[in-house]
Amino acid sequence: MTAETERVGTGPVGWIGHLVDSAAAFPGHYGRLLAANRTRTIVLTVLAIVALTYPIVYQQVFAPFSRNVFPLPFPDETTVTFMTIFAIMAIGLNIVAGFAGLLDLGYVAFYALGAYTSAFFASPHFGSVSIVLFANVADGFPGIHLPFWLILPLAVIIAATFGALLGAPTLRLRGDYLAIVTLGFGEIVPIFFKNLAAITFTFSIGGATIISLQNVNLTGGPLGINPIDPFIIFGIGFGATSGIAAVYFGILLTIIAIVVARNLERSRMGRAWGAIREDETAAEMMGVNTVRTKLLAFALGASFAGVAGAFQASYLGATTSDFFQFSTSILVLIMVILGGIGNIWGVLAGALALTYIDKSFLPWLGTRVQAVAPDFPNPTQFNFLIFGILLVAMMRFRPEGFLPSRQRAAELSVHGLQDAEEEMGVEVETDNISIAPHGQAETDRSAELPSEEKDL
Amino acid sequence: MAVGLTGSIPDDQVLVRARGVTKRFGGLLAVNNVDFDIPRTSIVSLIGPNGAGKTTFFNMITGAYTPTQGEISFDGHPIVYLKGSKVKSRKPHEVTALGIGRTFQNIRLFGTMSALDNVRAGIHVHLRSHWWDSILRTPSMLNEELDTIDAAMGLLELVGLEDRADTWARNLPYGDQRRLEIARALGTRPKLLLLDEPTAGMNASETREMTDFIRKLRTELGLTVLLIEHDMRVVMGISDRITVLDHGEVIAEGTPADVRANPKVIEAYLGRGAAEA
Repeated sequence: MTAETERVGTGPVGWIGHLVDSAAAFPGHYGRLLAANRTRTIVLTVLAIVALTYPIVYQQVFAPFSRNVFPLPFPDETTVTFMTIFAIMAIGLNIVAGFAGLLDLGYVAFYALGAYTSAFFASPHFGSVSIVLFANVADGFPGIHLPFWLILPLAVIIAATFGALLGAPTLRLRGDYLAIVTLGFGEIVPIFFKNLAAITFTFSIGGATIISLQNVNLTGGPLGINPIDPFIIFGIGFGATSGIAAVYFGILLTIIAIVVARNLERSRMGRAWGAIREDETAAEMMGVNTVRTKLLAFALGASFAGVAGAFQASYLGATTSDFFQFSTSILVLIMVILGGIGNIWGVLAGALALTYIDKSFLPWLGTRVQAVAPDFPNPTQFNFLIFGILLVAMMRFRPEGFLPSRQRAAELSVHGLQDAEEEMGVEVETDNISIAPHGQAETDRSAELPSEEKDL
Repeated sequence: MAVGLTGSIPDDQVLVRARGVTKRFGGLLAVNNVDFDIPRTSIVSLIGPNGAGKTTFFNMITGAYTPTQGEISFDGHPIVYLKGSKVKSRKPHEVTALGIGRTFQNIRLFGTMSALDNVRAGIHVHLRSHWWDSILRTPSMLNEELDTIDAAMGLLELVGLEDRADTWARNLPYGDQRRLEIARALGTRPKLLLLDEPTAGMNASETREMTDFIRKLRTELGLTVLLIEHDMRVVMGISDRITVLDHGEVIAEGTPADVRANPKVIEAYLGRGAAEA
């Protein structure tokens, strides 16, 4: 049932002991996996090794080959870094949309909040002050300069706070209504950042001025904030010019994101989210505090985008509100859906594949096409057309996604259910298969209405 | 309007006390001024024709609906109470935490979760580990999960589903789903178990099994059971007391023998069924 069968000692010592035990048990665990499903385990191991060594192999082998012999669409360092950034976001959105079943169309807002956290707290933007804390910047340098290990927690806290703020008014909404509100939030935040370049605001009570702002430039307006400090560890900066160092930092963040999401999925929170996704009313009747649980999904999901945004801004060394369009929300959602909503490995695959197509494959195809037919439009302009076609094709032939979760497969596809059941070693009772997951839910729109009196 | 036994039970033996409970849906008076007491460790049935307000009453006890008027207390805790002039109700998950578990008329299991996870979801309300414990997989969280698995397996054994622990709820046969719903409700560690038509759709032998099982819950776990049921054999055979609702009002209350003999009940509901019995 679970990997742990023995009780664990309590307290920090017990925790460290448990981690050590888990690490020590890994070879045996791996051996069992290998014995149980040899092909699958070997393929996954190879994939993991490829992922971890790719940046070095690219730098040493692929890049020179591509440059000197024949250009092939190997993803370069920038592409791989963005693959990790989008992977983190897809894993985060999967918590909200996949685990808890709450459709969020404004996820880009948290990406923007993370990016502007980096921009505010690690740049010369606020030149009238000089706050340098543990950062690789000379004292007295204008602006606020914090190190990455303060920026990332700040981004998490800010994004999570706004995630909860977004969640609070939407708690009683379900389905389409929730999607519309999150869509609005996703539009408001980038516009907010775009427009707060010259704030003039006076607030006074009885002649005494409490707040007086004259032409304060908070967000840099449409130009954004530039430059932003790169993350620096042991003197190595993780900026766009630093090559594989940034890639490995991105990979590290992605691994942390996977572990965190997976641990949440396998906990009481994961079960509570699953219960809410299956039947919110029944979940509440069984003692799940749906308000708290949904807020937590929003906040935790948002914090992943906060981390991704903070890393992205410091990586690029600049940020503007143009990075945070509605299309980015949709792109991340497409990654989640194509990859397999609800399954961490699926959404990871979706994020890697789509970012690769967007940032590496299409530009490469573009230069090849231009070389042959200069008048043909550049394929990079068609990225959303291609994603759209992919999405439609996927919905037609495999609606549960590329690597689906068992639950979603059962909800969305008859074949998926049979696959999943066979995988579980359970007999399929064909008379129980239904396309509609919750019986009448497909036609019963009243269940989605914000209403105190739920249908019981 | 106290009819029959309500009001005559000593305070310390009352688990649920409802007074003047009324629920209006727009122009429809679903439940009208109902007084209702449930003694501890009793099996009480709520019967009445379709649309009499039985399930609405259930939903007010569990906090799903806020009554238009009235007060309900459970084990000394107010569930529905007056705050100023407004009727307030505790949230369903708070009521569950106080010790009221329930099943549903149309089974509402978490279909694509395993039988075990359904029961674990029921135990959720008593788990104390936080989300950060989950992320870090702290010892307290891991040990709590182990205890939860043990407890959930115990409940599956109680309802005879220990062999189906890993099966998805939606793939269980109908009778097993009914029993799993009870196991999930027991996971919330209830003092009062509300069963909404537990034998609906069951054949005679399954019904007998379920009836025996409900008795066992009372004798072995000391539970109090409130039952909505249409099968008169079940109701008459199992109940200590029966309350009859019609058009949202209590028209009779008492032992099975009393209710069976009550002309009002025969007129309103039992009719020919009672004549045959």
